[in-house]
Amino acid sequence: MGLISFSINGTAVSGAEGETVLKVAGRAGIRIPTLCHHEAVEASGACRLCMVEISHPDWKGWKGLVTACLYPIEPGLEVSTDAEAVLECRRNVLDLLLARCPTSPVIRDLAAAYGLRETTLTVDADPDNCMLCGLCTRICAQMGHHAISTVGRGVKKKVGLPLDKPSESCVGCAVCARICPTDAITFREDGRQRKIWGRTFEMMCCEECGTSYITRAQAEYVCEREGMTIDYFEKCDKCRSRDTARTFSRMVQW
Amino acid sequence: MVDKELAVQLKRLYVTPGKCIGCRTCELACTFVHTEGGGRLRRTRVQVHDTGGETFVPVLCLQCETAACVRACPVEALVRNELTGAIDVDEERCVRCMACVVACPFGNMLFDEQAGVVVKCDVCVGRPACAMFCPTKALEYR
Amino acid sequence: MRFSSPGVLETQRTKLQDRAGKVKREILICAGTGCLAGGSADVAQAFRTETRAAGMKVGVRMVIKETGCHGFCEQGPLVILMPEKIFYQQVKPSHVKKIVESTLKNGEVLQKLLYKNPVTGERVETYDLIDFYAKQHRLVLRNIGRIDPEQLDDYLAVGGYRALPKALAMKPEQVIDAVKKSGLRGRGGGGFPTGRKWATCRKVDDQPRYVICNADEGDPGAFMDRSICEGDPHAVLEGMIIGAHAVGANKGYIYVREEYPLARKRLGIAIEQAGEGGLLGQDILGSGFDFTIEINRGGGAFVCGESSALMRSVAGEVGEPRAKYVHSVVKGLYDKPTVLNNVETFACVPYIIDQGAKAFAAVGTRGSSGTKAFSLVGKVKNTGLVEVPMGVSLRDIIFGVGGGIINDRPFKAVQTGGPSGGCLPQSALDLKVDFDTLTEAGSMMGSGGMIVLDDRTCMVDVARYFVNFLVEESCGKCVPCREGLKQLLIILQRICEGKGRLEDLDRIGNLSSVLAQGSLCALGKSAANPVNSTLAYFKNEYEAHITDHTCPGGVCKELITYSINDACTGCTACVKVCAFDAISGKKKARHEIHDDKCTRCGACITVCPDEAIEVH
Repeated sequence: MGLISFSINGTAVSGAEGETVLKVAGRAGIRIPTLCHHEAVEASGACRLCMVEISHPDWKGWKGLVTACLYPIEPGLEVSTDAEAVLECRRNVLDLLLARCPTSPVIRDLAAAYGLRETTLTVDADPDNCMLCGLCTRICAQMGHHAISTVGRGVKKKVGLPLDKPSESCVGCAVCARICPTDAITFREDGRQRKIWGRTFEMMCCEECGTSYITRAQAEYVCEREGMTIDYFEKCDKCRSRDTARTFSRMVQW
Repeated sequence: MVDKELAVQLKRLYVTPGKCIGCRTCELACTFVHTEGGGRLRRTRVQVHDTGGETFVPVLCLQCETAACVRACPVEALVRNELTGAIDVDEERCVRCMACVVACPFGNMLFDEQAGVVVKCDVCVGRPACAMFCPTKALEYR
Repeated sequence: MRFSSPGVLETQRTKLQDRAGKVKREILICAGTGCLAGGSADVAQAFRTETRAAGMKVGVRMVIKETGCHGFCEQGPLVILMPEKIFYQQVKPSHVKKIVESTLKNGEVLQKLLYKNPVTGERVETYDLIDFYAKQHRLVLRNIGRIDPEQLDDYLAVGGYRALPKALAMKPEQVIDAVKKSGLRGRGGGGFPTGRKWATCRKVDDQPRYVICNADEGDPGAFMDRSICEGDPHAVLEGMIIGAHAVGANKGYIYVREEYPLARKRLGIAIEQAGEGGLLGQDILGSGFDFTIEINRGGGAFVCGESSALMRSVAGEVGEPRAKYVHSVVKGLYDKPTVLNNVETFACVPYIIDQGAKAFAAVGTRGSSGTKAFSLVGKVKNTGLVEVPMGVSLRDIIFGVGGGIINDRPFKAVQTGGPSGGCLPQSALDLKVDFDTLTEAGSMMGSGGMIVLDDRTCMVDVARYFVNFLVEESCGKCVPCREGLKQLLIILQRICEGKGRLEDLDRIGNLSSVLAQGSLCALGKSAANPVNSTLAYFKNEYEAHITDHTCPGGVCKELITYSINDACTGCTACVKVCAFDAISGKKKARHEIHDDKCTRCGACITVCPDEAIEVH
């Protein structure tokens, strides 16, 4: 199987070829802060919060900072998650994020953990909570919709719709809003409709009790992708559970 | 830790509704076994229904072979556990799209609002608490 | 014609060389972007017409003669008459008849069209006596100016494609060995040993492999790669084909930036000619080796010069870099092994194979062999493309080849390496220019950009300029670069406006640290270099801005004032030119500048014949 042995903060750990430092650290219970990381999408290394310091006996004393979410483990690697350079880098990154998203509770909490109550830099004139981690755009692509993407370059970069117009391929699943670490994407829902990214979506309401979880567009997308029929999505879990019980009890009586 | 001895002969959770007396001990056991010490109570994955005429039916995940939940999941967060035979939720991969919750024809994919995750029966990684505590053997692991 | 074997190629070459040897008179007219804009195509046409009318058999060729001394590009169109090497500048079509009559027929040199040595004031007749050319060692630029870049025959006649059959007859490992022994290091700025890069790629067990030429050249003011692509495109192709043979690739790309249409055109013509000649495509020179090259056009983004962003751009994706913990020689274009090298690097390869690794390594220094082309621009008398051996000092380049500072003003600093580099002061002038020495001093050689600055420069403003450039060009993916550069610019802007605080220097320190340590790619990692180097060597200027609210260079508008001194003769030129009505004065009386209206645009200084306007 070829297990690769290395160390994190002096503790011996091991993992399979191709695994990242972050993955192995997680398994070993060593916490490394992340913001733009999610298991469902390919790592991007955009937030730079998961920086760790690496060195190796063969590297003649060379040390460097890399993102744990992307760095592939190698035999003999020495990883430090709390070296001075690492903490300084994380603090500076949080300082920058605080300037961009001054009111986001997630970022404020993280920054406070590194000794920053307020940013030392200039706050954006019109701040919002988006830190451009790209999780929303990556998951939207991963799920097959490609309805939103990052638009523009550099400081003008933002998450947006194609040509700023509501997208035909959006199914209103709101996963972008749920996966956002800073709750920067909002949507409104009243049981029958969901309004998100400039469109109004009909909810898939249970034919018995009216409860809804997903939009009809999302249900239809899954059906088309999987060759399932829409009746899979016509009742909610509670009603299905009760139906199942009735069916089984009839089986017992019969 | 999965008990490897249990895995050798793949056991299954059997439900015999005729034996169920509706005591709901299974629900309690399921909740507690999945709750971390001192943490918020987690949702039970087995649900007992009163179907009238003094019949009660415990409903829990059938670990379907061609599961609708697995098909509905867009990110492969529902994966068969080779050792237990159950379909497990990878909580770190799950994006809470809720498609599986609606897709399951038996209503066994549940959203645990307190914890903010989708949950399902995982046969308690090989030692199902519901079967252990069922007084009438309406639930058996064999 | 198609060269089905090296033998057929050599026969043709000999024929061409014989023919060239018989040509007694040639007129070389610069057809670089600058001179073309000045009308050199019309000049060439005029020469053709006039020489035909005069019944002369002359080879009138359009070639690239790269930018020469101070103002040469501004003094184009440039014409060289061979074999005498007579060098005429600012030639108009109306001059041509006289040139044909006087110089070509009667051997009379027209003084007014000659280059004037700025130091001695004398007119110089031939180009090899012009310091600018005499002090260079043109290896990679050797063909530029001698050949017509749109004629394959010209390239063959000067020995082009002589290296290719040699390389194809060698085993790939032998080619790699030769490149290793030559000591060639990447000329795009990274300086990575080319031989090692090719060797690593070859070892990767994956197919297909790709070879990419980076012709994005985004550094402001740099035009080495442009000149090579415009002036000697076949050299680039030959280098790529040899490289492809060495690493085992059958497909190549040249990524040319959007802003270089002439380079794309000339490369395209060269690719077509090479294809027709059997030097590209299937079964090259009958060797059995296949290789094709495609040109990719950039979209106007500096960040696409970064290798991983470039490869994404070639693949049709957004040009954002990725973390390179797995190198692109292992997983590059389409996740396949890819060798990416700079234009100048590829252009060196034919020389190495043809003349031998030792010949290349004999020039330059031990750690940095060969020569390097620099774009020498700024406040230097002779601006242009300069090629010197590695290890030549900054002083020799700036004052030797460059002829010193314009108007003999004091030298202040030289900015090298573009936005990734830094500024070096007078004390650094004797540093040797190579891959490592400048880096140790806080700058870097980079791809060869060299901007000379005089005393009328504000170093804080220079830092601000580069940071502003990078803010616009950052891809925006990672936090340190996108947010860090934005904050850095805010601070530098504040300092230039006189609103800086001493704590700002600490903030700059933190930002530099997070940029260098935390950025995803080299753009961000090196972004703080201009600020750091100016802080290291010119801290007094920063402090002057912050605590004294003055700008020692006399540049930052909010911190300077203009005033008119006694030298004023009352000519009212400045009064007339001022668009803000900030100057008052009657004729023959000393004029006055009103500070509240003055915007420090500098128009008055430009028109004043008495140099009576002072900057404080």
